[in-house]
Amino acid sequence: MKAIITVFEGFGSTLQLLVQAASHLGSLPRQRARFIEQCYLIGYTTLPIVAILSFFIGSVLALQAGYSMQNFGAKQFIGSLVGLSMARELGPVMVAILLAGRVGSAITAELASMKVYQEVDALVTMNIPPARILVLPRLAAVLVMVPVLAIIADLVGWFGGAIVAKNVAFISIEPEAYFSVLRRYMKFQDVLNGLIKAETFGFVVVLVCCNIGLNTRGGPREIGAAVTRAVVASLILILVLDYFVTKALM
Amino acid sequence: MNQLHQTARVGLFFLLGLALTWVTFETLSGGKLFRPEGYALVAGFESLKELKEGDEVRMAGVKIGVIEKTRLAGRRAEAVLRIDAGTKIASDATASIIMAGLIGTNYVGLDLGSATAAPLAPGSEIRTKVTPDINAIMTELSALGQKLEGALGTFGTSVNGDGKNPGLFQKLDQMVTTNSVRIDATMANLQAITGKLNRGEGTLGKLINDPTLHDELVAAVGEIQSTATQAKSFVADAQGILAQVKSGKGALGALVYDEAAAQDLKAAVANLRAVSDKLAKGEGTLGKLLHDDTLFTSAQSTLRKADRALDGMGDSGPISAVGIVATSLF
Repeated sequence: MKAIITVFEGFGSTLQLLVQAASHLGSLPRQRARFIEQCYLIGYTTLPIVAILSFFIGSVLALQAGYSMQNFGAKQFIGSLVGLSMARELGPVMVAILLAGRVGSAITAELASMKVYQEVDALVTMNIPPARILVLPRLAAVLVMVPVLAIIADLVGWFGGAIVAKNVAFISIEPEAYFSVLRRYMKFQDVLNGLIKAETFGFVVVLVCCNIGLNTRGGPREIGAAVTRAVVASLILILVLDYFVTKALM
Repeated sequence: MNQLHQTARVGLFFLLGLALTWVTFETLSGGKLFRPEGYALVAGFESLKELKEGDEVRMAGVKIGVIEKTRLAGRRAEAVLRIDAGTKIASDATASIIMAGLIGTNYVGLDLGSATAAPLAPGSEIRTKVTPDINAIMTELSALGQKLEGALGTFGTSVNGDGKNPGLFQKLDQMVTTNSVRIDATMANLQAITGKLNRGEGTLGKLINDPTLHDELVAAVGEIQSTATQAKSFVADAQGILAQVKSGKGALGALVYDEAAAQDLKAAVANLRAVSDKLAKGEGTLGKLLHDDTLFTSAQSTLRKADRALDGMGDSGPISAVGIVATSLF
């Protein structure tokens, strides 16, 4: 029962934080430096790991698809399979999971430290709302950077699949044929759906991580626990939301 | 890292994202953000099958446009074809949905139409024709397979029997078993005959083995050919004669085709009949000669006398011959 109450409490405080951050939306132009810094941390520094993972996810997808589909002569459709899978599902989910693991944990750790060491209390004392200078720039930055990460993840994954499709002996599909099939069976709407999903996941991840960080109580040990809790909650929310957002976008 | 560098990197990163999004959009949607180029034609079908927006429109195998839109229009389905600017479609050209692959890959194929036909105006409707899709083909194949299966079943029953009535093989087996002695005898006879043939015995054997017979046969055939040539020549001559007869030339032609000659012939036959009737009745000198024995007797007597007179002339000499003849005769 206590766990259920904790869950509801978490939902409530997250929504409250969102409303508080939204109420300070007008102050965002004055926080340009913070916004740029968060964009740099969320987007630019996350790019290498997103690119590497996307490349290999696309490659493995092509490999597995080629292995499975060669049995019934449909391996020429690997391009469309990899393209649709990356754009509609794997790209957004992978970016969101990387955000939760790399950015979300960092946000939670930073805010939890500030909370534990009473920096947040100091801000409140100075009549500076934490939601304005600690949450709003991060939410704005994630909204701007996640689509960029997602589209890069999609494209790198497609190219990874194309390289595998050409160079693996039992697949041997030329890149022209691979991308021709990809183009034939894909619409930009598929990519757009993926970007919307990634945007949703990224926003929720950052919001949840900010909320858990700002609600940390206790000593330094609680900082680690808060980070763990934030990452786990983010991953669960990503996968739960994935179903509902996908269903809503169909 | 100073603030300026950080801002520059974030800006570059964001622009990179925008550029990639734009490239993806252009690649997958053909840049529909702008007003599409070319002109639209409407093609109505009973069913669009697997046709979807973005599929190609080809003329004689060359891509000339894309399917811009698919829609239901009353009791039929319509595809709006976006044809490239500069490509003229003849008004009598026909559109059909063509299957490019077994798994749902279709495009609209246009034929060239006639060279003299006027081009279709933008927005007008193009003629269409129905082509069988893979489902229809598979249905036909299934029906064919069922028919084939039935035919093979019937054939199998007739060959192998149906359990109650023996089949062809059983009947053959029974026949062979029953007549094995006769078949053995027949085979022995055949073997003896072929042996004789092989040894050159009998007419057929000689014909097969003796080259003389062969030569004679060839000569006979040559003669038959020569005879046939002559017969052909004869027939040609006969045809010539017949042609002359038909043209009324010659005696036979005149006889057959000349009316006056026919009348003369009739009159001659009538005269001949009258003469023969008189002869039969014994009228006239010749008739009497035929019917009256006294004339024969008198003639016989006269000849005897002449014979004697000639004999007397031989004995008396020529001087008294006239007197003897006269005496003998009178």
